[in-house]
Amino acid sequence: MKKFIISVVTSALILISGQGIAADIEAGKKKAIEVCAACHGPDGNSLAPAFPKLAGQHATYIENTLNGYKSGDRKNLIMNGLAANLSKEDIQNLALYFSRQSGLSTKK
Amino acid sequence: MRKSAIVKIFAWSAFLIISSAAWAAGDPVAGEKKTTMCIGCHGIDGYRTAYPKVYNVPKLGGQHNEYLINALQAYKTGARNHPSMKAIAATLSVQDIEDLSAYYATSSSK
Repeated sequence: MKKFIISVVTSALILISGQGIAADIEAGKKKAIEVCAACHGPDGNSLAPAFPKLAGQHATYIENTLNGYKSGDRKNLIMNGLAANLSKEDIQNLALYFSRQSGLSTKK
Repeated sequence: MRKSAIVKIFAWSAFLIISSAAWAAGDPVAGEKKTTMCIGCHGIDGYRTAYPKVYNVPKLGGQHNEYLINALQAYKTGARNHPSMKAIAATLSVQDIEDLSAYYATSSSK
């Protein structure tokens, strides 16, 4: 009985922590194609010079930027409207997806 | 007659100065020499901000020239307000901004 309780608690912990951490790259890709691709390109390598490339950008930077647009800390007519409709999970998934595409680099 | 000729010369000079300023493209070679204030953060792979929030500073290598110019100008005017970027952009001239943007936009040497 004691072992059973320990195993139930352990699996519950694994489930909860797993959900807390893992962003979903496939869900990010789906959302990217629906919402972002028209301006930023399907993989984040935008063609229009006014729209930044996102491909290969750091996930934490993309996440911080989208949160800034969502809260209104950063202002842009197009991005404020789009980010308002993204959930916290959407933002994490998009950040992971774009960060894993090939594009930008750190120039030394 | 004299007067109108002088006025014409003035008008043309003003026109040329304004148009050359508007069309002056950034020089990536000059830009590379102006990166001393950038590389401490943007030249270190995986560098993170310490204030006001912690996240990775953006990669700039290969970013669009126009976007980089817009970003630096927005920091300079205060439209974007990251504290350290605002302080640095305030010290940059229009030419500095164009040169730096041209440098970072050229596809990365890694």
